[in-house]
Amino acid sequence: MVRFLAGKGVQYALVLLFAVTLNFMLPRMMPGSPLVFLAGEDVGFLSQAQRTDLLRSLGLDQPLWRQYVRYLGNLVTGNLGYSFQKGRPISEIIAERLPWTLLLVGLALLAATLIGVVWGTLVAWRRGSAFDLGSLGISMFFESTPSFWLGMIFIAVFAARLRWFPIFGAQTPGVSLAGWAMVANTAWHLALPLATLTLITIPGNFLIMRYSMLNVLGEQYIATAKAKGLAERTVIYRHAMRNALLPMATVVMLNLGFIASGATVIETVFSYPGVGRLLYEAVLNRDYPVIQATFFILTVSVIAANVLADLLYPLIDPRVRHAR
Amino acid sequence: MSTVTATAESAPVRVRPRRRRLGVVGVVGLALLILLVGSAIFAPWIAPYNPEESSGNPFAAPSRLHPLGTNDIGQDILSELIYGTRISLAIGFLAAIVAISIGTLIGTVAGYFGGWVDAVLMRAVDVVLVIPFLPLMILIAAYVGPSFWNIILVIGLLVWARPARVLRSQVLSLKSLDYIDAARALGAPASRILRLHVLPGVLSLSLAQFILAASNAILIEASLSFLGLGDPTAKSWGSILYYAQVRSAFLTGAWLWWVLPPGLLITLAVLGFAFTGFALEEVLNPRLRGMS
Amino acid sequence: MRTVAILAMILIAVLATIPAAGLAQTGAVRIAIRRDEGSLNPYTYQSGYPGWNIMTLVYDPLFYPDANNEPIPWLVRDVKVSTDGRTWTLTLHPNVRWHDGRPLTSEDVKFTFEYVQKVTHSRWTPTTRNLDGVDAPNPQTVVFRLKAPDAGFRLRTLADVPILPKHIWESVTTVAAARAFTNTVGSGPFRVEEVRAGQFYRLSAYPQYFAGPVKVRELILPIVRDATVSFTALQAGEIDANARTLTPELVAQFEKQAGIKVVRGPGFASTLLQFNLEHPLLRDLRLRRAIANAVNTNLMVKLLTLGYAVVGSPGYIHPASPFYASGLKFEASKAKAVAILNEAGYRDRNNDGVRETPEGTPLRFTLLAQAENPLRIRGAELVRTWLKDIGIAIDVRVADDASVIDLVWPDFDVCKGRRFDMSMFGWSAPVMTRPTALVDLFHSSCQIGTINIGGYKNAQIDRLGEQLVVTVDSNRQKQIAAQMQKIVAEELPVHVLYYQDVIMAYRAAAHDKWVFQKGQGVLTKLSFVDPPKR
Repeated sequence: MVRFLAGKGVQYALVLLFAVTLNFMLPRMMPGSPLVFLAGEDVGFLSQAQRTDLLRSLGLDQPLWRQYVRYLGNLVTGNLGYSFQKGRPISEIIAERLPWTLLLVGLALLAATLIGVVWGTLVAWRRGSAFDLGSLGISMFFESTPSFWLGMIFIAVFAARLRWFPIFGAQTPGVSLAGWAMVANTAWHLALPLATLTLITIPGNFLIMRYSMLNVLGEQYIATAKAKGLAERTVIYRHAMRNALLPMATVVMLNLGFIASGATVIETVFSYPGVGRLLYEAVLNRDYPVIQATFFILTVSVIAANVLADLLYPLIDPRVRHAR
Repeated sequence: MSTVTATAESAPVRVRPRRRRLGVVGVVGLALLILLVGSAIFAPWIAPYNPEESSGNPFAAPSRLHPLGTNDIGQDILSELIYGTRISLAIGFLAAIVAISIGTLIGTVAGYFGGWVDAVLMRAVDVVLVIPFLPLMILIAAYVGPSFWNIILVIGLLVWARPARVLRSQVLSLKSLDYIDAARALGAPASRILRLHVLPGVLSLSLAQFILAASNAILIEASLSFLGLGDPTAKSWGSILYYAQVRSAFLTGAWLWWVLPPGLLITLAVLGFAFTGFALEEVLNPRLRGMS
Repeated sequence: MRTVAILAMILIAVLATIPAAGLAQTGAVRIAIRRDEGSLNPYTYQSGYPGWNIMTLVYDPLFYPDANNEPIPWLVRDVKVSTDGRTWTLTLHPNVRWHDGRPLTSEDVKFTFEYVQKVTHSRWTPTTRNLDGVDAPNPQTVVFRLKAPDAGFRLRTLADVPILPKHIWESVTTVAAARAFTNTVGSGPFRVEEVRAGQFYRLSAYPQYFAGPVKVRELILPIVRDATVSFTALQAGEIDANARTLTPELVAQFEKQAGIKVVRGPGFASTLLQFNLEHPLLRDLRLRRAIANAVNTNLMVKLLTLGYAVVGSPGYIHPASPFYASGLKFEASKAKAVAILNEAGYRDRNNDGVRETPEGTPLRFTLLAQAENPLRIRGAELVRTWLKDIGIAIDVRVADDASVIDLVWPDFDVCKGRRFDMSMFGWSAPVMTRPTALVDLFHSSCQIGTINIGGYKNAQIDRLGEQLVVTVDSNRQKQIAAQMQKIVAEELPVHVLYYQDVIMAYRAAAHDKWVFQKGQGVLTKLSFVDPPKR
């Protein structure tokens, strides 16, 4: 098991290195200068000396390799740099935004897994029935539907027309709330984006769980349990589901890259102030340091979750614990 | 979509063998595909107007002249959608071709040669799989610029990873087959074995993966276009939605005829490809039979 | 199953209590802005509009543009200009205080102008280039000494640069420090109470404002990046006004809506077709004239802006501007376009639908359009269709703003050249309000014509422009400007398409005393406080 973990460790280190280097190179290779977003269109009136001044104060005049070394060093010490646009340390900006994304993604993951598992289990038991086919149809529909389209329709119907939910943001702006009122306000704003993200994540989990359950249900020991006359409930939950959950766990973790992507689009559509939306805005504004930092954080988060999964998985699945 | 195939190759199945039938799912999928491809091919005959022409007043509601109304500069939406089939399907197919070409090559080479070649290539696959794909695509798409071919390249360069994995395991199981063993024992060069024995065995699975990749690609293109990172002058369904959104269709009630139809078409296209892909996989890959 | 049912019931119960904790009406005016504006102080705000407008709610310049874009005295009570135009003696109001209670004196004014010369600011450092020095002989008097008389000094400098508190900013000595400085103590009618980065700003009225009572108690500025979302929010009552101009397709709907008022006025932001005058083919005036004739700007206004725009004047200046050379108009005619092309020898010799030059080069051009601006992209599509009709092939290339700028105006430095054929482009309102805009736009020297992105060269324009810059008499200014416009209309270095109207929608119940600044909108200090009395 140690070798397994070490192997995984190498893999993740490689991923990190690749992401970090890609991060650094791509923005540097992009056409367009960040000057406009430092200085607006009036930058045209600056003299050459003043422009160089600005460039130097932001480190853009150094040779590429020097910038890279500085970049790596900064990452290691947790310094994610300064945002050109906002003139603030990026770690501050990300620290403000990351909790929102974690909240959204975490809850969506939880909800989508729970619902997917339960639904998949129930459907597998009733394979071939109308319930099964209907479920398959619905889940395929939601997996094929563009998430932004779903989000905009939710906004149009539930927020704009019916006024049941707010249209944008994570909290009502300008109002200071505390305690239960703040939690409730946050939840109210979270409802639609969470619903959208969950709806598009459930199908993947549902299908896997169903498939996994079908496999397990075909096994000999299940037939034995049924023959023994055990109640349907017991057979499902005590025997089948627990075994069916095992491959599920890996899949849930594979979901993370997908959910991080989904969250980016959904945060944009709902104007939800998370890290995904920060990336999108930064790319549009050519805010180099923010692009790098945000992408880095997103990748690190996904890797961290994967590491967690790899550490926890042997605890769940005894077969892996003792295998190579 | 892709998560299902991943489990398919990692968890062995013991299921009752079934006849090689396409099944309801496959038929539905194929029907959808035929319908869409047909619309794409016969667009000039089906579409009531040239979508580039401002044939009506801007923001017109549906009428007899324009069954789905007009967009923000008076172009007929129905015609846009019909011609949009061409662009969206083209992008889907082409991106899938890129993805499958890369995926087949890498999967086959990795599976066949094994050893460190396999290790290195599979590491590459893992890297691509772990990174959150849309942020990466947003990043790259913004860099290369919104153009028809750039989008195809960007999508293809990220969607190849899962097919590579699947095809690799197929190759692994092929490798243990007797006749391949024999060929190797007889000293046949690797390129010959690959060409004559391995590739044909992998080709049919490639086809299924190709269709699944196309399904993915269409969805991704829609998202990128909607975010404004696609080519807005190419009338794909995603860019129709882009204009609907930036021209406030959601506020004016125009969303019923400007937003709903393109989204539904995207969903149908993705479904069509997915159904067909799954059905094909089931037919071609014995291990997956019994899934539905 | 039972467990699921119980869980569901708990969830529903929880959800039911939530809406109550939602929208508490605060009695403040909520204005949506489209982007983050830093800490809202002079060195961290981001955009010309609405950034500058909001920042000047917290800080005061010496003058301020009124509803007609004329600079009126604000912190200043009295102005004396020497006959040679080089010495300006200003008397300040005596009872102006900073938000922290300290008095605002001529020391602060002197400090501010010396500061922006030292600590580079893209907007103000250039406008102070002409300053020889600033003196503060007594706390209420400031003397500006200019190197040369400057026609735009009042509007471009005195009505633009916000005064900084010396006691707070004197320790912030570098550009980096200034851009990171979060202090917002100003002298303006509003104080910054809360900055929630990326989400909103909260400003409250400053009760001791020298010019009188502030009409609104509190301002909340939520950042809503998405235009559709911001208008949906306005319609739903989640915000009271929008810094963005209302898009044409929503006007009819908002006008019908109870509780919402819509005000409309001419806009000074321009949309134009920019030519690269250094391009071997586009150098030919006849070709440019033909292209301009093929673009039906009347139809464009109807299709793109649903009529909510003014057709472009070929001399660039908006018909509603006091500097407009009256009677200047461009009548587009497709027949004329074809005739000009035929006469000039551009014919389609190989019958492929595209005309060629007498030497055989096909008339094929790339037209750039910024991705963030869907109206421009649509405009480019229309131009492509119309030019195709007269045998000119256009390839529309959509790129994000930064990439387009990189090709058209690399590093925002006209001296760096250009790499494009044609581009959809536009300038914001302030460019129109400066009398010297024509010089910035068309002077051939890249140090003077700082926004001459087409590389246009005309000796007469240069001469007139140099004259204009030092002319202080407004009638004479108008004369020179009119001459320049006529030349521009003849030579067509740019083809001005239209000026989109500014349409502001707001909820009258929250605030109804908005002042419409011509060409720009309602987000002006005058909407919240009356000008100080002399």
